[in-house]
Amino acid sequence: MNFLYDYTYYLGAFGLVFIGLYVILTRKNLIRVIIGLSLLETGVNLFLVSLGYVRGGTAPIFSGSGTEAAGMVDPIPQALVLTSIVIGMAVLALALSLAIRLYRHAGTIDLAKIRGQRW
Amino acid sequence: MVNPVLLIAAPLLAAFAVPLWSLISGRSARYLPVAVLFFNLVISLLLLPRVRLEPIRVIIGGFPPPFGINLTAGPLGIGLAALIAGVGLLVAFSAAGSVRGGRGEKYHSLYLLLLTGATGVVLTGDIFNLFVFFEILCVSSYALVAYPGDRPAVEAAVKYLVQGAVGSSLALLGIGLLYGLFGTLNLADIAGRIDSVEPTRIFLPLALLVTGFGVEAAIFPLNAWLPDAHSSAPPAVSAILSGIAIEVGLYAVIRVTYTLFGALSLLPFLAGLALLSLLIGEMSAYAQDNVKRMLAYSSIGQIGLILFALALATASGIAGGLFQLVAHTLSKALLFLAAGYMIHRAGSLRIADLAGMGRRMPLTSFAFAVGVFSLVGMPPGAGFAGKFLIVRAALDRGEILFTVLITFALAGTVIEGAYFFRVIQTIYFRSAPDGGAKGEAPWTALLPLGLLAAAIIVLGVFPRLITGVLDSVAGELLRGTGPGGGGLP
Repeated sequence: MNFLYDYTYYLGAFGLVFIGLYVILTRKNLIRVIIGLSLLETGVNLFLVSLGYVRGGTAPIFSGSGTEAAGMVDPIPQALVLTSIVIGMAVLALALSLAIRLYRHAGTIDLAKIRGQRW
Repeated sequence: MVNPVLLIAAPLLAAFAVPLWSLISGRSARYLPVAVLFFNLVISLLLLPRVRLEPIRVIIGGFPPPFGINLTAGPLGIGLAALIAGVGLLVAFSAAGSVRGGRGEKYHSLYLLLLTGATGVVLTGDIFNLFVFFEILCVSSYALVAYPGDRPAVEAAVKYLVQGAVGSSLALLGIGLLYGLFGTLNLADIAGRIDSVEPTRIFLPLALLVTGFGVEAAIFPLNAWLPDAHSSAPPAVSAILSGIAIEVGLYAVIRVTYTLFGALSLLPFLAGLALLSLLIGEMSAYAQDNVKRMLAYSSIGQIGLILFALALATASGIAGGLFQLVAHTLSKALLFLAAGYMIHRAGSLRIADLAGMGRRMPLTSFAFAVGVFSLVGMPPGAGFAGKFLIVRAALDRGEILFTVLITFALAGTVIEGAYFFRVIQTIYFRSAPDGGAKGEAPWTALLPLGLLAAAIIVLGVFPRLITGVLDSVAGELLRGTGPGGGGLP
């Protein structure tokens, strides 16, 4: 049980990554592929946050004179995740707007039915 | 003393200034990218002699490395920044005359963002910052591919976006693993400590990063998006995607392999993949009857050749590969632009419909021919010098493996010659069925075409103009693999 206790977040993060990859590779519906991308990104973000997580740690803010760096979580992965969430949002927004455009042109978002979309 | 940060800040600022400016004057706003890229070209050429002596390190936000984000402008970074600005300038100039309609400013804004991302990738000294600039490059290129808004463009953009986004996520996962191992994101700092952990533990981040960045570099088998994206985008966008975006992806792969990991044992594997990209790209190009798809597949082949040379891990191999990179950037930008104007005149993408173009558009066809001769490797084009350097470097390795591989690479070049000369023959020696009206491209297009063709010839005749810089670049990359590590001190 100790292993699970220590590595829960990593297992969850990589679980999300693999679910995302599986969805992207197997689904034919573009919206589902985009959901897969979102899951993949969430998994990567969760992995980044858990890298810097300290069990029972506090936010890295030096509020008073008695605060020590020892019990704090690592702020750098959190900064990375903020950036990465913003990038992910931009990619998803672009993907969804392209999906709308594709639907207007092709009348479907089923990738298997659109010529030139099979890969 | 000029600060290399301007190379990133100027186009970024201009990208957001273009829409505002166009509210005041739509006509002059489209020349803003030209002005900014000219500024970038001048700055990077001014910096180039200095960084050959010693890389410039710029500390951003007052945090000294390894804590803050820093820029590390070595000869490779500044040299590529100059190439990006130069080709970007010429393509922007030709696009300023051809992008019509009220949406022009969005195009110019995205275009500048793409070049900001590309410049940022080659100048940064921080792995996460590299990822962020890479994403700026990728997201703006997805949007630019979709820019015409017609069905093939949107389909290609969707394909490109899904594959690119998966690649980026994998690269970010690799960066996360690296941070977990080393607790730092500074390239030089990671490179200095890479030997302190077991090789098995750095294999996964290395594989993730090479795969992630390899999608943008279109290394086989990650190249499925490229033919669609490059052939359905507008000509100026294809020129910049083929000439700059995939080269930046290649830069990221090479930077990670050489400087960050010093992973020389990975290189024969990369050389094998490169050769597969070369052969598959050239053979697929041979089978095309659509001229833009043919050029797109030829880019895959050329990228394979460049990666093959870079994977030789000798100073002469790297110098040859980078020479070919410069030659490919110039000639592919030229070919996509010239093909765009010929397609516009012919009203068709098919190679057969380009018949008689040599008489209908003599100057454009001549520029196209210069690009073709250079790419195939005929003297006096720059491609001849590039291919010559690569072959010599491969033979200098003196290993059977590389001698065999370069033989296959040369076979690829023969295929390349076959399909390109077929196009030349159609353009010059077949006449259009209806005779076809004569009509040259506008002068805003002819000027960049002429300058690109001139640059190709000048580089081919005087390769020494840039081999000096390329040798210092090779030194910079190989220093990272020696004992002590850290090509970026």
